[in-house]
Amino acid sequence: MTGGPLVVGPLVIGLGSPDRGDDAVGPAVARSVASRLPGVAVVDHEDPTSLLDLWAGHDPVVVVDAVRSGAPAGTVHWLETGPAAAPVSTRAWRHSGHGGTHAVGLAEMVELGRALGRLPARLVVVGIEAEGFDHGAPLTPRVAAAVPVAAARVCDAVTAARREESSDVPR
Amino acid sequence: MTHKHKDGGHVLHVGTLARVEGEGAMHIAYRDGEVTDVQLRIYEPPRFYEAFLRGRAHTEPPDITARICGICPVAYQMSSCWAIEDACGVSVTDEIRALRRLLYCGEWIESHALHVYLLHAPDFLGYDGAVDMAADHPAVVERGLRLKKAGNRLMEVVGGRSVHPVNVRVGGFYRMPSVEELSAIRPDLERALEDSLETVRLVAGFEFPDFEQPYEYLALRPESGYPIEEGRVVTTSGAGFPVRDFATRIEEVHVPHSNALHARLDGGARGLYSVGPLARYTLNSDRLSPLARRAAADAGLGEGCRNPFRSIVVRAVELVEACHEALRIIDGWTGTGAASVPVPARAGEGYGASEAPRGVLFHRYVLDGAGIIQDAQIVPPTSQNQPSIEADLRAMVGAWADLDEHALQHRCEHAIRNYDPCISCATHFLDLTVERT
Repeated sequence: MTGGPLVVGPLVIGLGSPDRGDDAVGPAVARSVASRLPGVAVVDHEDPTSLLDLWAGHDPVVVVDAVRSGAPAGTVHWLETGPAAAPVSTRAWRHSGHGGTHAVGLAEMVELGRALGRLPARLVVVGIEAEGFDHGAPLTPRVAAAVPVAAARVCDAVTAARREESSDVPR
Repeated sequence: MTHKHKDGGHVLHVGTLARVEGEGAMHIAYRDGEVTDVQLRIYEPPRFYEAFLRGRAHTEPPDITARICGICPVAYQMSSCWAIEDACGVSVTDEIRALRRLLYCGEWIESHALHVYLLHAPDFLGYDGAVDMAADHPAVVERGLRLKKAGNRLMEVVGGRSVHPVNVRVGGFYRMPSVEELSAIRPDLERALEDSLETVRLVAGFEFPDFEQPYEYLALRPESGYPIEEGRVVTTSGAGFPVRDFATRIEEVHVPHSNALHARLDGGARGLYSVGPLARYTLNSDRLSPLARRAAADAGLGEGCRNPFRSIVVRAVELVEACHEALRIIDGWTGTGAASVPVPARAGEGYGASEAPRGVLFHRYVLDGAGIIQDAQIVPPTSQNQPSIEADLRAMVGAWADLDEHALQHRCEHAIRNYDPCISCATHFLDLTVERT
């Protein structure tokens, strides 16, 4: 992108409040990825409206969030998108956390990024089906069990993207 | 969703209100232009904070109550700090007061920018939401995001974090920001001030339904300046009182259709009352900076404003004021005093209030001699505004029953958003009825 920010590598963002039960699953997955993949920028964040600034210059970007769609708790939803992909349904992918700015959720921010030309080239949205949002509660067991599963898949995706990049530009 | 009854009556029901904080529903029944029932239903899971605070130390409320809301944590921190300090008989220094005001400016900028641009402007410009609006008006949405980011940055520098600030403690702060740290965000705030003035010009050009309401307005009024972080209570009928009287003047009533308490002033003797930007502005427009007053006048605002749809103009003027105040405080900052004053525990009752972006937030705590909280009461702005929101809906549906149902429903949702309701702050009750369509 001419005049745009330099691409500074992969970024993993965990969205959600740390003390609202399963809402913390996004940050939990992000931390797990950070422990397995040094060199990948990982951030915890509660406020989806700052995503456009957070991911500026990064590629690929993975955003992990708690969702509720009616699937069994702990289900890992995986959605790959980018500037050329079809829009994400803001109804189907509604941010279900309570700690952040829930009037504007993750799907809205992805679509806002698309409308403003501020989506990363490769964006993966990972949703973990949640079941409890009580104050001060830990992750529920099925959601906790999904953390290593989701983290491993995110690590694989980031590693594959890096491999792709290095084969594109041989050193 | 709308239903038409066989007897000619209608039901307007929105199962999940969009573009408000938290989860709520609206239910309106009307017939032959007569409204038979209006209920703003708030069904976000109830909050146990008041019970949860009992038994905790007097130093804990700023951290615990900041978690009540992701959009106005500073309001919770400030109201709780004032209340605990009041109970313990402690006053903070002028420098700590100034820093509280500066942090609060960050929250106002962040919250008002979000509401004006991403939640409320689409109503006026005819879009379903900010995403659709961004396709046609990208520069407008970018300006809103830039303003919000300036507020976030101010909260990060003063509060340590933008979502739930961690630098606040009873008695003041854990550390004072340096002159250099504050100077570093000055350019962002200068740009934000320009963006705020542009915001006033933008929203002043919107079309507003002709609709005025005679409610009693209630807001804070400090010794000087526009009310943000503190003040005594004033109202439009002159029924002002010190913050420590709020628990006897404001009564909270449970209504069956909502998890949020409804608030009444003086037992309802003064009719409905409301809080928020319109109340603040009407009671304190003489306290705005000359720059914000000029912006208000240019936008067609008089000394007061009674049209809830124009609240977006007042929010924009308050954005100007918050940016201007932030710059003024930063320019006078030395950061040389103590970051906090000691607040030794003592038995007593304390009261605190501050102006959350959406209206006055009251806190009350009762402490024992060891500083353990025996009782806590939190009266959030949305509880206070809920009766007015319902009354607005009642009046509007009556006046505009000739609109088609889609237009009427949209206008009702718009009317709820006039109040920037923070439903997650307002809920209190356990007997939860989840209603989704």
